[in-house]
Amino acid sequence: MARRVAIVGYAQSYHQHDMQMTREDMVFEVAKGALRNAGISREDVDTVITASTDFLDGRTISNLYTSMAVGAYLKDESKVEEDGAFAAYYALMRILSGVHDIALVEAHTQGSVVNPHLVSNYTVDPLFERQYGDLNDISAAALQARMYMNKYDVSEEQVATVSVKNLANAACNPHAHRRMPDVSIEVVLSSKLYYDPIRELTMSPISDGACALVLACEEKAKEITDNPVWIEGVGSCQDGYLRDRNLDKLDSLQIAAKDAYEMAGITAPFAQIDVFEVSEKFAHEELMIYEALGLCREGKGKTLIEKGMTEKDGEIPVNPSGGALGADPICATGLVRIMETAKQIRGEANGYQIPNVHRALAHGQFGICAQKNIVFILGGE
Amino acid sequence: MRNVAIIGCGQTKHSGRRRDVNLAEMVGDAVWNALEDAQVGPHEVDAFTVGNMQGFGGVAQPEQWLGDWIGAPGKPVLRIATGGSTGGCVAQAAFYAVASGLYDIAVATAWEKHSDSKEPGATTGLAHVGLGNTLNMINFGVSFKHLLSMVAAGAAAGVACYQAMYYMHRSGCRVEHLDMVAAKDRRNAANNKYAHLQWPGCTPEDIAKTKWVAYPFRYGHICPASDGASAMVLACEEVARKRCKKPVWIKGLAAYSDEENQIMSEGAGGIGILDASQQIGATMSAIKAYKMAGIKDPQKEIDLAEIYQPFPSQELMFAERLGLFDEGTAWKALEKGETDINGKMPCDLSGGVNATNAIGSSALQRILECALQIMGKAEEHQVPKEVHNAVAHGWGGATNYIAVTVLGDSPY
Repeated sequence: MARRVAIVGYAQSYHQHDMQMTREDMVFEVAKGALRNAGISREDVDTVITASTDFLDGRTISNLYTSMAVGAYLKDESKVEEDGAFAAYYALMRILSGVHDIALVEAHTQGSVVNPHLVSNYTVDPLFERQYGDLNDISAAALQARMYMNKYDVSEEQVATVSVKNLANAACNPHAHRRMPDVSIEVVLSSKLYYDPIRELTMSPISDGACALVLACEEKAKEITDNPVWIEGVGSCQDGYLRDRNLDKLDSLQIAAKDAYEMAGITAPFAQIDVFEVSEKFAHEELMIYEALGLCREGKGKTLIEKGMTEKDGEIPVNPSGGALGADPICATGLVRIMETAKQIRGEANGYQIPNVHRALAHGQFGICAQKNIVFILGGE
Repeated sequence: MRNVAIIGCGQTKHSGRRRDVNLAEMVGDAVWNALEDAQVGPHEVDAFTVGNMQGFGGVAQPEQWLGDWIGAPGKPVLRIATGGSTGGCVAQAAFYAVASGLYDIAVATAWEKHSDSKEPGATTGLAHVGLGNTLNMINFGVSFKHLLSMVAAGAAAGVACYQAMYYMHRSGCRVEHLDMVAAKDRRNAANNKYAHLQWPGCTPEDIAKTKWVAYPFRYGHICPASDGASAMVLACEEVARKRCKKPVWIKGLAAYSDEENQIMSEGAGGIGILDASQQIGATMSAIKAYKMAGIKDPQKEIDLAEIYQPFPSQELMFAERLGLFDEGTAWKALEKGETDINGKMPCDLSGGVNATNAIGSSALQRILECALQIMGKAEEHQVPKEVHNAVAHGWGGATNYIAVTVLGDSPY
């Protein structure tokens, strides 16, 4: 990369089902929080990138009201209409170009305002699939889950183990939405069935929430903080449309991860990365993500979860914060993953800190069956 | 910073209803035209930036469905949406993708297919700007005073006539001048084979015969809702010099949001509106973009402008805010014919947004048209002088989002 860029400040909301707060208030709180965390003021920020979508916000030009709340007025700003991790990616490009030095990145969704599962029906091909009315993010994920589970002989219990791990992890994270310390496989498998095999506890909850990060170039980062978290690599990729891709594999994540590893000089992710925060909107996706990230061979995701290797005290902890199953404020979810890994590197993850984290991976996704993926590799000094 | 150039441009024919293509095919046409123009194969593209207003066509995240038509699978795709300025911001994102050093060749594409939604997006879509928030506010027990200030704004035309009144009062410009701008833009559009509202030989008298919509706007002043798409191929210096005879360099850019002109800000408890035609965001964007481009006196150094003017008063107002004319003098320059094709500062030779408005694409088209003029590929509406520098502008939201891009025939 042309310049080194670091995360120097962050904040997130307490994700919950219904925040009882306007989006403007919520966005203001996290933007202010991130600036306070970095110890800088609005005047120091060169560029502001936000993430939200018009459909999920239920209003056209969703940033029209929030750009004041985030402090973007009279700033060079833009809006990314997808996951917040892509907003961080755009902010990174803006800083790397040398045009800007400090960027504020903000992402939010209030799932309580517009049902995101309803919106997902508007994402499918409007000419054919939408007309049937039976395809949405959950039913498509059910197809994906069945294809994956059949191909690699994965049982529902193994998928439920992912939920058990993440929901129990979320219990230690005060910001998470669905915190269940006593969850068990039986509880998960007896939760409400939506589309077989997707159940209430094997899919992410609908959350309200926001997250903000401050990114800075090397010179500024060193002025602002003593422990910046460096962005060592990034990769992003979009897969083909639902009917034209391998549903049983996350090809686009594999490409994104390959690009990010190459940029960060990582050859053995299992050994070189200390903690992972991934956006698993459905429990089975976490197993597919293990494989796409190269943590195990194809179809062996189930072995990692069964042996407890991705538990908090395992060899490669995945989602110590509870992941997307713990809280899913849609556009903010990917950005929260970046923030959680930054917290782990800084040693600020009270209650779920993994010891000695030097390098971490954050993953964000967007679209039906994780059509779009983005991977960040972060590192400490 | 790496130098970034536009090496290929593509667009589709614009009309009220493109029934011959669906959304994906239409965007595909624009992208393939751009790739062909740049002589770049789809496999050589490193990244895509895309955008439209998703509510206007009724498809959420359309790039995920139509990605297959533009060769996006397996590549990074970044989606940008900022209202009317979307296209400008999409092009700027492609600039940053290349300037960052992460990618060498990027494709920027933006589109709108208004006819896919039941009513033209410009009215329903913009009503929804207020509606979503209004419902939310009612939910929180906020008083109806705020509701009035948002819905009574009357969508885009409401915002613009409010702003036009400020501008006319401030500058001394009269309705006759708006007739002149609209007539000029429709005449210009007649020379642009991609434009929507083409009216060869249109005179201000013709426009003056049309009905009033909301003072100071007549029917003939207002932009159409078009179906159409546009795309550009951007490349780093090394690729651009090798692949393109006359690359067009992006020399300066900025996109400052302007809170004060947000028409709702007064009612919604923001800081009060002082003057909706002040446009500090546009002025700040222009100053920064010119500074980056090394342009000291835009009135002398800029050869032509493409201004985002769905309403004719905005062509005059933004020309002033972009520093192309002194404050309050744009209408005088218009009277002298300075903004015509043979004038000193030709504005919107393509007909601009006043003649063609596929909203997401409109601001990208402004940049594209400047690039065509610099490349000398504008065919019938090619300006009869050498173009060294040009400025492209876009606005969005409630006129509070701005994207200004300065282009030139040399990177320095």
